[in-house]
Amino acid sequence: MNRGFKIGIFDEEEKFISSIKLLQEKELNIYDVFTPYPVHEVFHLLKRKSKLPAAAYFMGLSAILATLAFLYYTAVIDWPVVYGGKPLNSFPSFIVITIVLTILTVTIGSLALFSARSKLLPGRENTIFDHRATDDKFVIVVETGKLDKSEADKAEKIMKDQGAIEIIDKDFENVNA
Amino acid sequence: MYNSKIRGPLVEGNKSLGQVTREVIAPLESRPGLWWTVALGLSSLATIYGIYAIYITVYKGIGTWGVNNSVGWGWEIINFVWWIGIGHAGTAFSIFLLILRQRWRTSINRAAEAMTVFAVLCAAIMPALHMGRVWLAFYIFPYPNTRGPLWVNFNSPLFWDFTAITAYLLISVSFWYLGMLPDLATIRDKTISKIRKALYGFFSLGWTGSSRQWIRFESLSFILGGIAAVLVVSVHSIVSTDFAVGVEPGWHTTIFPPFFVVGAIFSGFAMVMTLMVLIRKIYRLTDYITDNHMDAIARILIFISLIMGTAYLTEIFIAWYSGNKYEMFTFFHNRITGDYKIQFWGMIVCNALIPQLFWFRKMRRNWIALLSVSLLINLGMWLERYTIIITSLTKDFLPSNWVSYTPTIIDVGVFVGTIGLFATGVLLFMRYIPMMAISELKGVVHIGSKKED
Repeated sequence: MNRGFKIGIFDEEEKFISSIKLLQEKELNIYDVFTPYPVHEVFHLLKRKSKLPAAAYFMGLSAILATLAFLYYTAVIDWPVVYGGKPLNSFPSFIVITIVLTILTVTIGSLALFSARSKLLPGRENTIFDHRATDDKFVIVVETGKLDKSEADKAEKIMKDQGAIEIIDKDFENVNA
Repeated sequence: MYNSKIRGPLVEGNKSLGQVTREVIAPLESRPGLWWTVALGLSSLATIYGIYAIYITVYKGIGTWGVNNSVGWGWEIINFVWWIGIGHAGTAFSIFLLILRQRWRTSINRAAEAMTVFAVLCAAIMPALHMGRVWLAFYIFPYPNTRGPLWVNFNSPLFWDFTAITAYLLISVSFWYLGMLPDLATIRDKTISKIRKALYGFFSLGWTGSSRQWIRFESLSFILGGIAAVLVVSVHSIVSTDFAVGVEPGWHTTIFPPFFVVGAIFSGFAMVMTLMVLIRKIYRLTDYITDNHMDAIARILIFISLIMGTAYLTEIFIAWYSGNKYEMFTFFHNRITGDYKIQFWGMIVCNALIPQLFWFRKMRRNWIALLSVSLLINLGMWLERYTIIITSLTKDFLPSNWVSYTPTIIDVGVFVGTIGLFATGVLLFMRYIPMMAISELKGVVHIGSKKED
């Protein structure tokens, strides 16, 4: 099934932000916005939040426990060897490896989670609404399929009034974004 | 909130966003100059020499090196510590400045991280070869094996070092690549070449720049930055414990971890400076890497140089103050005077004295001064590692163990090879990857410029 979208293109951040505000005031649902660099006000307006920090915290916690458990198993249970008269479970010298492996686990884990949640994989082709969004334009995408005709016109009018340089109507068969 | 009016514009010339894209990806879209081809040829020759030296080392064994029974660690360990030190600053630069919200990092961090990746690769070659039988290098991984299973010694700094370097390489590559995603997507959307579109499209992993991707991107950069900052400090501390845990005179001191970490950041910042002077000169990117950027790096170098000077004096003072005659001998008769005094004084002059020239504004604004001082610092840091390793090992506790040390042509070959590898990496980086973080530059392009005021 084809899905229709209205794509507003802006060349200035201020105009783009004020359009988002107005569209939200009129409760015209914004599908997503695309920007050449992270705009913090957008995260605020669209209520975007990331749970990555919390996930990273728990990955780190489990990595610490797993590493210490592994070191204890190998050094104390499986093949105990006394080095220089030190105790088998020589915790202070385990700390370094634990820190390093925790950092490594958190890095790889949160990268994997990031690529899964953001749908980023080698060779993947996500729907690009407008090619200029990665260059110098700010793009607002409104899904018109979910709106009736008058609302879609209203959205177009708001974006035009705020100074959109172009409004494009486009249909996409499969949307990956 | 963290922007300073004092620093002036981060990007000069009142650029539009489109202009930033065009100017940064211009070197990728055009044919490389003659200098690039010549430089690549030279660095490939150096790499080939290195490959030959490594072949001889593997085929005949490390008897082909200058190491002997007393001096078990020669050029390879000097170069290992030197490269890993250089590799530090890329991450230190990028990550410390990221978590301190210093936005002037934006035009330099990509190149600094690239430098890290190639330097750590060069560093990793050294200890691997030093194992002697490099084809058994996988024995160092703690995996369930048929030898017992006998595990590696988790109490040994040498094993910590292996863990830390491996993790450091993986993490710095990840961080570098993550930062590149939006820029690879920019090239994908901007280029007219079909091959480039397909290649950069593949490697940009389907980046679109949606708000959902951006917020996760930012949050991930801070997570990686925050934890990798710990790694930056820990990796070189671990390298220093390789020495400090040994009982050789001149090594067995508690100052080693901070001394090594600061030294690493020092040599790395100097290497960042070298590269930046060349990049902004060759590609005429002075609007992005402004005089103020170079000024800031030069100021950091003065500061670190003072810490280095203090560390050298502290070592000498403690050798005297401890009353330990072996320490006294090492510092006063072996380093300050003695067979290796040229290396010792070279280290003092290059690391502690010459960078003080940056107190003068004229020197901080002159590219020839910046380039020569940064190269001298790198030389000085190499001499520092030479002094630490060779003086302590050639004359230890027992005079019957005393020997002299000279590297062989194979030692030199391995070193020249890594320099070639590093240079090749940097040249390919300049050609195929945007040298500056385009998306981050767009975020700071108006900071401090007239438009904002």
